[in-house]
Amino acid sequence: MKKKFLAAILSAGLLLSGCGGNQTSNTDDKNTFVYGTMAYGVAMENVGTNPHESYSGWSTLRYGIGETLFKFNEHMQLESWIAESFEQVDEFTIKIKIKDNVVFSNGKKVDGMAVKKCLDDLIANHDRAPRDLKISSIEADGQFVTIKSTEKMPALINYLSDPYSCIVDVEAGVHDGIAIGTGPYKAVKVTDTQVDLVKNENYWGAVKPKMEKVIVKSITDGDTLTMAMQNGELDAVQGLPYSSLQLFQNNKYKISQVETSRVYQAAFNFKTPELQDINVRKAISMAIDKDNFTKVLLNGNGAPAVGPFPANLTFGGNKVNAVPYDLEGAKNLLEQAGWKDTDGDGYVDKDGKNLELRYLTYTSRQELPLLAESAQANLKKIGVKLEVNATDNYKTFLKAGEYDIFSKAIVTAPTGDPEYYFTSHIVDGAVDNAGFYDSAEISKLEDELHNTFDVNKRAELAIKMSQQILDDCALFYASHLKMSFVMKPNVEGFTAHPSDYYEIRPELEKK
Amino acid sequence: MKKYIFSRLIQLVPILIGITFLTFGMMQFAADDAVDILYEQSGSVAEEIKAAKRAELGLDQPFLIQYGNWLKGVVTGDMGKSFISGKLVFETFAEKLPATFELMLVSILLTIFIATPLGILAAVNQNKFVDYLIRTFSFIGNSLPNFFVGLLLIYVLALKLNLLPIMGRPNDFSSVIMPALTLTIAMGAKYTRQIRAVVLEELAKPYVVGAKSRGVGEWTILTKSVLRSTLIMIITLLALSMGSLLGGTAIVETIFMWDGVGKMAVDAILTRDYPLIQAYVVWMAIIYVMMNLAADLLYHWLDPRVRYSEGGA
Repeated sequence: MKKKFLAAILSAGLLLSGCGGNQTSNTDDKNTFVYGTMAYGVAMENVGTNPHESYSGWSTLRYGIGETLFKFNEHMQLESWIAESFEQVDEFTIKIKIKDNVVFSNGKKVDGMAVKKCLDDLIANHDRAPRDLKISSIEADGQFVTIKSTEKMPALINYLSDPYSCIVDVEAGVHDGIAIGTGPYKAVKVTDTQVDLVKNENYWGAVKPKMEKVIVKSITDGDTLTMAMQNGELDAVQGLPYSSLQLFQNNKYKISQVETSRVYQAAFNFKTPELQDINVRKAISMAIDKDNFTKVLLNGNGAPAVGPFPANLTFGGNKVNAVPYDLEGAKNLLEQAGWKDTDGDGYVDKDGKNLELRYLTYTSRQELPLLAESAQANLKKIGVKLEVNATDNYKTFLKAGEYDIFSKAIVTAPTGDPEYYFTSHIVDGAVDNAGFYDSAEISKLEDELHNTFDVNKRAELAIKMSQQILDDCALFYASHLKMSFVMKPNVEGFTAHPSDYYEIRPELEKK
Repeated sequence: MKKYIFSRLIQLVPILIGITFLTFGMMQFAADDAVDILYEQSGSVAEEIKAAKRAELGLDQPFLIQYGNWLKGVVTGDMGKSFISGKLVFETFAEKLPATFELMLVSILLTIFIATPLGILAAVNQNKFVDYLIRTFSFIGNSLPNFFVGLLLIYVLALKLNLLPIMGRPNDFSSVIMPALTLTIAMGAKYTRQIRAVVLEELAKPYVVGAKSRGVGEWTILTKSVLRSTLIMIITLLALSMGSLLGGTAIVETIFMWDGVGKMAVDAILTRDYPLIQAYVVWMAIIYVMMNLAADLLYHWLDPRVRYSEGGA
């Protein structure tokens, strides 16, 4: 019996050893690029490549299947892509000229009619696009498309660069989640966990795709993603946990990092009596140690924020000024506001009541609880007690008004234009104005912004509005997220973009 | 036997109604609704738009009407569409099941092939070094959580030895070994201890003592008599294990990127995809009832002394 048992063990060993050898065959192939990402999957609502469904356009654009009429450069300024140029006919009408040499991956030419049909289908089927684009009619004439909007739309071109605006061949339809785009690669198989792409032999661009095959794998576990990259099963990854990133900071790997417009911010609730005093809001803002938060808690994966927009936008970074980190200054401001520690319990008080505030946030963004803890520790130093409520059930507390400070992560310029942030988070009555901030100056500037078409003038107005928010200490901005791509040293042409839209591009190659 | 099977299948109806009603109710009481979560990534969305979406999905209806509509659909063979992907629920399920079946099958086979000889070996060497060694390892295997075993296997077998791939690959048998091994370690540890206990009990029975005294070989006694007697216990365990494995093993599927129903269920819960969650609940109820029924029928086949009764075997 023992001999038989031994034989069974040996057979199992042989089975395992039979699987041995090179487990990285795909990544060893110079013509195949294997990419692991945390940003694809059912929970992200971007499965499939039909841009007219939910967030699938992100997959269409990110993985090089589709392209938009215009695109963003590294400063988030618009450049032509499928479109050659555009003309603002009047405040409601825009005329776009389509490049003459653009073809879909099935070889069909892209003309004005193809663009019109695509945009008509987008408006008929997408849940967000109609309210963003506000299109009343589209007309096609040869290589021209004329779009009329129901109201003044200074940022229409920006919205036409959103992933949902990828131009696809709607006549060809969508089969098994595969749409026909104009990008350097075309999808051949799409599942909930993987997208298989092959080179688009008909690609119209000047730079032709260099990889024969690209495999995009969804990996939702951070440790698996890390070890699959270490193991050599992947050529590149996106979305590594911060704690893992340092494992790749050596000459065996390359890292491409970029500051994004995703900001970690906190809004003061103006309905809280204690926070109606600007000195209290200012003191709290001055006690937030942004440098320490980004360097230590985020392991350098963020950049300290001044205002809502990052430095790589023309209206972001140091174009505005915020209060500095100054604990002594913060204490003085609290004293001016009548808050002193009279009973020696370590917390400032007024009329026999300690300054205690409820800080609401959520945990689905790993950085937010860290910011909450950092704020709690720093505010204790100036005598303010913060009760942190980090819960994914935060909407219940928001609806009930049970918070004094609400902290969240938000992409402030998803289409490179500043107006979305102000209309959604800042102006009085905005859907996400969690602090109930109401400034006459902001309302005036927003009216002006909404009627301004000149890009430079819009940037100036955005700077003024951001500065107004900071002067009023209505919110504080802690950090902008840095996005990182880790790759093998032989990977070229794979760089992180501040828009988070473009990943697989024709320049991608393995040397 | 037909009557028995029919009565067991009839019992499935109140079970299904009961658990789907409970699940439906629990989802109603969950803090965030499906539409809030659906629009979570959309940035700022006005309440009117959310209200319109709720109406479109029928979520503005009273709880009982929603449940009634869902039940009516199920009875007529329509399990609805996923709130997130818009795909038919049945289609989504059908896509995920083969991967789950494959993982279940390999895990079960590995468990049987590892645990049965180890359990018998430990029993026949009771209180000897081999027995202590097997018991120690089975104790450790029982104590380790799946996610830890999975990561440990990845570290050793993939990262250090480069023997196996980490991620699931279609049509590549080697990629099923590590997730199956992860499940096997915990199941095998449990099975080994229980098989050891049953074999010990059998070995002490008079028929074994009698056989030994008649000069029947130890190997023959073990394979012809003892092993057959342990099969009833193994089948009971298998029925339970297969039930849970067919429901998917969310953690293992997530770690190894195995595209099965467990991962699908977790994604559905995270996104409050009610039609998919309900379908999963129905599936779980059916497989548990079916597995238990299959086990009862097998008991009778293995040991005709076991009789059918209304309440079970």
